[in-house]
This record gives sequence, C-alpha cells and structure tokens, in this order.
Amino acid sequence: MDLELIQQIRGLCRDLLRNGEINCVIGYERASDGLTARPFFAYEPAAVERLIFDETCTHNLVKYLSDKKGEKIAIVAKPCDSRAINLLLNEGQIKRDTVFIIGVYCPGVVETGWNRKGETLQARCQTCQLLKPVVYDFLAGQAPVRRTEGERYPDILEVESKPEDERRAFWLDHFGPCIRCYACRQICPGCYCPECFVERLDPMWVGIRIAPKENELWQAIRAFHLAGRCIGCNECERACPMDIPLSLLNRKLEKEVKELFDFQAGLSSEEQPPFATFKKEEKLGFEE
Amino acid sequence: MNLLMSRDDLIRWLELLLQERTLIAPIRVQGLLLFQPVSKVEDIAFDFDNTTLPPKEWYLPLTETLFSVKSGDGHTELVPATVEREAVIFGVRPCDAKGIAMMDSPFLQEPGDTVYGERRARTALIGLSCKQARPECFCTSMGSAPDDPSNVDILLTEVEDGYIVQAVTDKGKALLPQGLKESKAALPAPPEPQAVPTEGIVQVARKLFDEPYWERLADRCLHCNICAYVCPTCYCFDVRDYPDDGKVERVRSWESCQSPGFTRIAGGYDPRATKGARLRQRFYHKLLYFPEQFQDIACVGCGRCVKACPVNIDIREIINDLQQLGAKSGS
Amino acid sequence: MAINYEPKIIGFICNWCSYADADMAGTSPVNYPPNIRIIRVPCSGWVDPLLIAKCFWQGADGVLISGCHPGDCRYNEGNYHARRRFALLHRLLDYLGIAKERLRLEWVSASEGQKFTQIVSDFTRELAELGPRSEG
Repeated sequence: MDLELIQQIRGLCRDLLRNGEINCVIGYERASDGLTARPFFAYEPAAVERLIFDETCTHNLVKYLSDKKGEKIAIVAKPCDSRAINLLLNEGQIKRDTVFIIGVYCPGVVETGWNRKGETLQARCQTCQLLKPVVYDFLAGQAPVRRTEGERYPDILEVESKPEDERRAFWLDHFGPCIRCYACRQICPGCYCPECFVERLDPMWVGIRIAPKENELWQAIRAFHLAGRCIGCNECERACPMDIPLSLLNRKLEKEVKELFDFQAGLSSEEQPPFATFKKEEKLGFEE
Repeated sequence: MNLLMSRDDLIRWLELLLQERTLIAPIRVQGLLLFQPVSKVEDIAFDFDNTTLPPKEWYLPLTETLFSVKSGDGHTELVPATVEREAVIFGVRPCDAKGIAMMDSPFLQEPGDTVYGERRARTALIGLSCKQARPECFCTSMGSAPDDPSNVDILLTEVEDGYIVQAVTDKGKALLPQGLKESKAALPAPPEPQAVPTEGIVQVARKLFDEPYWERLADRCLHCNICAYVCPTCYCFDVRDYPDDGKVERVRSWESCQSPGFTRIAGGYDPRATKGARLRQRFYHKLLYFPEQFQDIACVGCGRCVKACPVNIDIREIINDLQQLGAKSGS
Repeated sequence: MAINYEPKIIGFICNWCSYADADMAGTSPVNYPPNIRIIRVPCSGWVDPLLIAKCFWQGADGVLISGCHPGDCRYNEGNYHARRRFALLHRLLDYLGIAKERLRLEWVSASEGQKFTQIVSDFTRELAELGPRSEG
C-alpha cells in the first residue's frame, strides 16, 4: 500500500471533518479477512486512521451518494468511479457543491473476494484508458505507468460471431443460474430508481418467478436501462454470487452506443445523455 | 455399530439409489458447485468444500407453484402441487443439515406447510463430514460440528480406505446396501473451525435494539438478497397469484427482509424504511427472535454469507461487536 | 420450418399517420394477413423497449412499430427518440439470439396508400419463412 498516498487522504479527511465542511467521508478500510478492502464511512476525525487505499479497493463507492443525498460528503474516487459521479451530476441526482471528490491516481485493482487477493488486474483495469479521475476536488497519489492498451471487446465479438441458435442457448445457460438477488442492481451507482421496473406488480413486467425466461428479461432490460449510462466498473459482475458474465452484456451495449451515437458515459459533467437527444439526419443502420 | 464403505461401494450404492429415487448431489454447473439432480453418478463432485447455495432449495424451492385453480365448463378445480418421487440428497455437510432441521420449526408447526412437509418426509439425507474447516467456518460456535451426525439419516466420514458409515436413523438404515463390513476404526478427529463468542448473545441482543450501531453498520450494506439466499436458515418468501388463460397459479418465490420495501404495506407506510432497521432485523431474527421461539440460534456457522457478501458484512464480527457493546452497557 | 405455423405479430401503431393508413386498409378492398394484433399508441416514441421485450418473451414471433416519418411527428420529436431506442434494441436482441428481422420499425404516412398493408404482408411472409421463435 502506498503510505504517502494514504497519509494524504487521511490528513485531508481529518481536516475536512474537523472544520465541519463535511458530515462524512466515504472511503475504504481493511475487511474482516485482514487482506482485502471494504467500504468505510468515517464520521469523526479520529476514524480517518482506518482509511486505506490499495489494489483491493474494488468497490464503486459512488453508489452510496444516492443514500446520502442532502448531506455534505467527501468520497474517495478512482477514475472509473469518478465517471459515475459525472453520471449522477448529469442526471440531476446530486449537486456538485455537496460532494468533495478525493480523486486517486489508480494503478488498477486486482481480482478480489473475501479472503482472496488475486495476482492479476481485473479485466476492466487492463483496458482502462483513464489514469486519473475525470472530476475531482483533490488529487492524491502519483500518476501510474500507462497500462498496455488491450482490445476491449474480443469476448463480445466472440459471442456475436456465434450462430443465432447457439447465441440463444448461450444466454439461456448463463441466465439460468440467476437467483434474482439483485446484487447487480444494488451495487450499481446507475441503478437508483426508487421503484425498479422489476418490482412493479401492476403491470407485472417480470413478476416474482425465478426462472430462466424471467431472469433473461430482467437482465436484458436492466442492461438496456444502463445503455449509455454504464461506466464499466464491473462491480455487478463481481457481486454476482452465481458468476453470471454481466460485463458481456453491459460492454456490448457500451460498444453499440459508442458506434451508434459516438458517446461514452460519464466523461464530462455536462453532457447530454444519448437517449435524451437525437440528430435529425442520422443513419442508424436498420431502416430502409 | 459403524460400517465401512469403500469408494467403489459408494459409487455402486449411489447408482442403485439413482435407479429408484431422485438423487441430488453437488454438481459443477457453469463453474459453480450446486446441489442438483444427478443423471450420472460420475457427475458428482466428491471432493469439495461446500456448495454456493445450501440444499434448502430442495425443501423450499427458489420458485414453486403451491397450487392451481382451473375454471371452466361451470366447475372449478383445485390442482395441488405435483408430488415428487422419493429423493436422496448426498453430500450434505453437518452445518447444512442442521439448517434443514431448523427450518422444520417454523414450517412444520401447526397447521404446517404441507408442501414442505411432504418433501421433508420423502427426502433422505446422506451427510458427509468435513475434512477441513474453511477460514469462514464457525459451526462449533453454533451448536454443530464438522462431524455432527445429529440431523442426517446417514453420515459418511472419509478415511484412507473409503468411508466410515454411521446409520443415524431408521430411514438411513433402510437405505444402506447389504454386505457392508463393520468398521472398528476410530472416527478421525474433526477439524477445528474458528470460535465465535456466542455465549449469552441472545440476552445481549435483547438490550441493543436502539443502538446507533445498526444504522452505521448498514451504511455499507447494499440491501441485496445475497446473504439470505445463500443462508441455510433464511426462509422468507413472497407469494403471488398468476392468472393465465382460465387458470390461476399461486406461486411462491424466495424473498428477503433486506430488500428495500419488503415491509411496505398498503398506503405506503414502511415500518422498516431505514437501512439500519432492515439490517438489524436479519441479525435479530437469527440471534434473538428465532431462539426466543425455537431455542436455536438461526445460524449454523457455514460462513457462506461471509464469503458472498460484496461489502463484507460479517456475522462473526457483528456478534463480537454486540458482545462488546453489551459489556459496555452493563449487565 | 414448422407446418401450420402462423406467426404471431404485435404491432404498435402510432395513432396519427400509421393508424390512419391501417384504417384505410380496413375500408379498402385490400386485405392484410390477420397475424398482426394492433395496439394503437399515441406516438412511436411512446413505445417502451420493455414492452417490446415483453412481447418477445411472451411468445411473439415478430414486433412491428410504425410511426410517422421523421420530421412529421405530431409531437415533433417522438419518432427521433424511437429511432435511437430501437436502433439499440435491435442490436441487443440480436445479440441475445432474437433475429434482427423480427423487430421492424417503419415510417408510414397517412397518405401512403397501401404501404401499411404491404408492410404487414411482407413481414408476415418473412416471419413464416424464418420460423417460430425458438423456446426461451
């Protein structure tokens, strides 16, 4: 762990809490396995000693901003997380002056779970183009060495190249184990609807049955609701207890939105979501 | 009297059981380990720690039709749920078996859940002692043990030349194959899972309902359903009628007290509207309300929730915290 | 190809241009196949992709959305939004193994004579050739 970085963060948070500029710091602390990280909420200056930052800090803390609306919060944000902050700003969910963003230069996070710290960087980090957050009030750490640019979509292309009935079977196989725990939705900063479409019982879009067809409808529409909004943190896939390859869905839509509308979510604090706008003359390749 | 079964004996026996019954055992599915019906004994994973989901889904399925009502031609017919064949679940760890036994308390007390009851009557459990304790295990602090035969029909303990077989119940005795030799070997010493200070936790929990601890802890909780779904002793569900084409199906599916809106009632009021209230509910159900009704703490120490929680809500840590808070606030 | 397979088509037809055209078909001597069940909506932009997905998951073999030509929308821009949404939905459904040909977005104006009839006939024939949607 970069001790200089963490002293920077702790010192800053101590000051912010002491002079009452913020109510709470959302950061990371050591988990109960003594090895990995977990989200941590510091309300008192003394608590900042528990803050850490290392390669197991995989969680996207921006999710918690939606729980703490109206309060003045400081948040530790990796580059990917900062895109989620832009998303919430663009969609009017939080006010810029209520959040103090402690951006961190991020060398990437490893595959991690309880009592498990992997050796390799997560796939999303291996193809990440951002070295520093896109929005921040304070920038901690030092610029890491630029990662090798890998191909972002080879697995998507592989699924696309399967014949139609094989694709069908592939998805039914993968959605079959879904137990509808909704961890994917709950961990996602972009899923903040007070009532999710899947909870609606009148009209009943999906209902309570936990079965492959219903699971697929759930996954497909959630992915669609995140199209042009998902910033690719991949926490949904990490949280899934049934190892469903959610990033195969979310990145597919990320790729299509880029191709169709030349848009990537969360890169700027002042952008028009792609479905809130249109071009009168645009050829989107399926009419005529 | 304990018996000895070789590895080959076991395979043959399972093949025999497979012919007459539904055999459910741990199987690798898409890289996960799950209890599933077996079509070939070779598919069974014999060497494993524990499954992703506990075997409770074979008593309380993820989704089931409780009954259907068909209407037409001037008469109405009630169609009960299909009655399944006799089943055997192989490879049940003692902690999971305790979980099943615990679920009997709410589901079989009068008037009793008939669907659950039928499944329970028709299913035998072949337990498998644990060779090692995982870092997240703590069964011995929750009234169980890696070699506890209490809640299975037969318990197998792996030894060098096969398995020591303990026939625990008459149902188990009747299932065993003929011709097994007696085993004079001593049962191996079980592994020792980590200890968690559960003594007096029920009394301690009773005092701490209003502590701000719960809202603070719940800050990081995502309120998904993972912990409840992987837990051998959680059993909340939702029931809904599905009308379709002249018939109505009453469907029951898993749910969890953690879901936002779980306790929202007509008119919009929600007695557990805050994150802390919902989180406290789950732990209080396990550590206070269930033991007050049914004597057992509703946790078997399998550690699945510890492993699966994406934000590290750890029941062992919570029990430790509660004991400390309880000591601070006086007796 | 299944014998005796009649494709089930759901059509979301906007009230203004498209429905007028469909109406005209009803009062003229031209027929269109009865495979389509028409749902009249205020605007193609009203149609939620969730509705389309639900149609497929409940057994529809094809879904048609028909609206006014871009530039002629009664509500000015509904059809532009529809165009973006369905461009993406097409690609998502195709990825999931639901052939692109099963979802059609058409622009029909009230004065386009038998365009609606032609579309429905063509669509029904194509879906019959494509076969029923496989289970799932």
